[in-house]
Amino acid sequence: MKTLSADNLTALLVEWREGDEAALESLMPLVYNELRSIAHRYVQRERAGHTLQTSALVNEAYLRLAGQNVVWQNRAHFFAVTAKVMRHILIDHARRRRYTKHGGDARQVPIEEASGMSLERAAELIALEEALDDLAKLDERKSHVVELRYFGGLSLEETAEVLKISLMTVRRDWRAAKAWLYRRLKAEEA
Amino acid sequence: MKAERWQEIEVVLQEALDRPPLQRASFLDAACAGDDELKAEATTLIAAYEEAGDFIEQPAIAQDAYVLLGDDNHIAREIGPYRIIERLGAGGMGEVYLAQDTRLSRLVALKLLPVYFASDETRLRRFQSEARAASALNHPNILTIHEVGESDGVYFIATEFIDGKTIGELMREQKLSLEEILDCVEQVASALAVAHAAGIVHRDIKPENIMRRHDGLLKILDFGIAKLLEPQTPGLLNETAAPLTQTETGLVLGTVNYMSPEQARGLSVDERTDIWSLGVVLYEMLASRLPFSGATRMDTMVAILDRQPAPLSEVAREHSLSVPLLQSIVDKCLCKEASGRYRTVSELLLDLKSAREQLANPAAIKAGPVRSRYFSLPVMGVVLLAVLAIVGTMLYRRSVRLRQSAASTAAVTAKPVKPYAQMSERERLEFVAEQEQRISAMMGERPLKLDENAVLLIKKHVDRYVARMNPPDGDESSSTRATYKRARPYIPLIARSFAARKVPVIIGIYLPVIESAYKPCHESTLGGKGLYQFLPSTARIYGVSRDEMCDAEKMTPAAAHYIADHMAELGEDAQSVTLVLLSYNRGAQWVRDSLRQVRGTENYARNFWTLLANKDALDEGFRNETAGYVPNFLAAAIIGENPEAFGLEGPALSTLAQ
Repeated sequence: MKTLSADNLTALLVEWREGDEAALESLMPLVYNELRSIAHRYVQRERAGHTLQTSALVNEAYLRLAGQNVVWQNRAHFFAVTAKVMRHILIDHARRRRYTKHGGDARQVPIEEASGMSLERAAELIALEEALDDLAKLDERKSHVVELRYFGGLSLEETAEVLKISLMTVRRDWRAAKAWLYRRLKAEEA
Repeated sequence: MKAERWQEIEVVLQEALDRPPLQRASFLDAACAGDDELKAEATTLIAAYEEAGDFIEQPAIAQDAYVLLGDDNHIAREIGPYRIIERLGAGGMGEVYLAQDTRLSRLVALKLLPVYFASDETRLRRFQSEARAASALNHPNILTIHEVGESDGVYFIATEFIDGKTIGELMREQKLSLEEILDCVEQVASALAVAHAAGIVHRDIKPENIMRRHDGLLKILDFGIAKLLEPQTPGLLNETAAPLTQTETGLVLGTVNYMSPEQARGLSVDERTDIWSLGVVLYEMLASRLPFSGATRMDTMVAILDRQPAPLSEVAREHSLSVPLLQSIVDKCLCKEASGRYRTVSELLLDLKSAREQLANPAAIKAGPVRSRYFSLPVMGVVLLAVLAIVGTMLYRRSVRLRQSAASTAAVTAKPVKPYAQMSERERLEFVAEQEQRISAMMGERPLKLDENAVLLIKKHVDRYVARMNPPDGDESSSTRATYKRARPYIPLIARSFAARKVPVIIGIYLPVIESAYKPCHESTLGGKGLYQFLPSTARIYGVSRDEMCDAEKMTPAAAHYIADHMAELGEDAQSVTLVLLSYNRGAQWVRDSLRQVRGTENYARNFWTLLANKDALDEGFRNETAGYVPNFLAAAIIGENPEAFGLEGPALSTLAQ
């Protein structure tokens, strides 16, 4: 992974805001590192039996990156990128994981720590991803709300901040999206 | 559904959800009057909402944090109170990072131990006691250990961070002056004297373990650590030695150049092994070449046991004036028998001091050797025999009894070979069953009479290879024939690497057939790479960087090491090679858990076939994916060991190992 200078990063962030997916790709290493750190602390706290506040961890990550002279557009911007990268990583992983099931004769990962993801979980994530894509076609904002909350670990308040909508709207979007997605996945299972 | 329609539905849905549950039905009746589809949509969504409960309420990271942690990048990660800043390097004992101690805001070097460490409790306890003993050593030339600890299953050692270069790096960059050389050896020796007095032997003195700070102060790294790398199981030649002191030739992944003869032979060692290694370092600094080296590790070990290094007068001419003095010191460090070396480092220190004084006063040199001059008696014959015995017996790990049974079953194939293609179906099944017995015996497994289903399963894989014998669609490289042809040059390397780890060589020969079809740079969609399909993260744990994964010279010893670790983890169950194979595929823990699940079955035997016979009790992964792994391996071996029957060129692959 190549490293990014602060200048490059800012430019990339601006580009990404303007919809350049390639720019997002370039941001991945940096955000990935942060996500790993978030995941690590998440696991630490989970083991220690603490209440889990992912959004607090994402905030910490933001503060650390902001402190490194990396000019994020703003906090909301960072949250949005983080959620997108997280989604990307997990779905990518799930796809690769699922592939093994159809890979035929014993082509399982030879090393046990390879995956960390069960086949069931991989299938669940892929189904969710497909449903979320379809939801975006119907109602893009709701799919963003789900992405920020589910993949980005953001609170309702932070989600409202990122999307520049009221807290009430986020609440309503969330419950409708949840109902829609749940019904859809349930129907697939049957 | 169209977006507009969804908007209509959502309006109704939201209004319904705003109402108490009991009023929703009547609300929907009114709101959807005349639009049954709208009502059905809203009703099912409300039902879904009520049923959804915790669905997606917990962020994905709650379930998938481990997916992110599975990668090999530790930068920015926090381990206990340490935040990792950058990677400094890697050694046999894991990776070393520059980290910040967030409590004291000081920089430390943080060594993260390989994950396989944590799975072995005995080794772990040993590690902790050794590292704590070493951390009690207090000497300016010994790297200070701040903390030995664990955080979330990651074991680490935090030491002072030295901003400097290793002696190895310095030697490569510049020629060291005699003054510098003697100063270096003296500093190391004085640190060793303190450690030895505390009963701690370093065991891995080498230029890469000695750092020079910018102010010239030397620091010895990794005290007491080397011992932990060594397997605990007794060696072949020293089974009568005391169990607590015996160790096999450890550090096999690292260099063997500095190893003492007793280490090379797998005997117990004491402080005199450090004296030998320091002697090798002294010689190397003076001569700019190693006293003992060879094309392969085994050759180097033979040189250590058997050869005399070139005299310094030939290889260190620029130090000619001091050669007689230094030669006597080197000789006394590099005596093959420990009893002929300096008894203690203090003796060596005395000679070094005396040498320095005499060198400062050249007139005194002619007065003769420093102190008593010792001529080592070569013990060539005995030692060489010992080496040959090690090399010979290490090919198979199993007991003599099992190897004898292997030899007797091997004779089965002496009769003329009928090509597999010309056999009847019945003959093929018999052939597969018979060959399975033979291969199992070669692997040291107690041969079992397999049931028909098991034989059929193996035969299915044999037939699959046969079907791919010739290029299927003109793609020569993916044919079975090409696979076995590619395998041949790798066999000697595999034999050396696996024998050194006491892993049955035949495992090493046929794993690459089923893992990568012997394509050295094969990369699977799962991220597995190279002959043995390691993941980059695992490769790194075994000292192979991502860039080196196509390098069979690096990957093969790493694979042997990995399997040896699994064998250690399997303990007694490693007696069954089919279980060892399975642990390569599924992990040792899975194997143990599964055995536990099927225990109590009739004719219970701790091997793969028992698991297969009881596969319904095991997880879906085994039924769907893993059950074919061992049969596939056996099929690959049956073909490779019977080239004539399958029309392949060349001898049986295992014969190339001898």
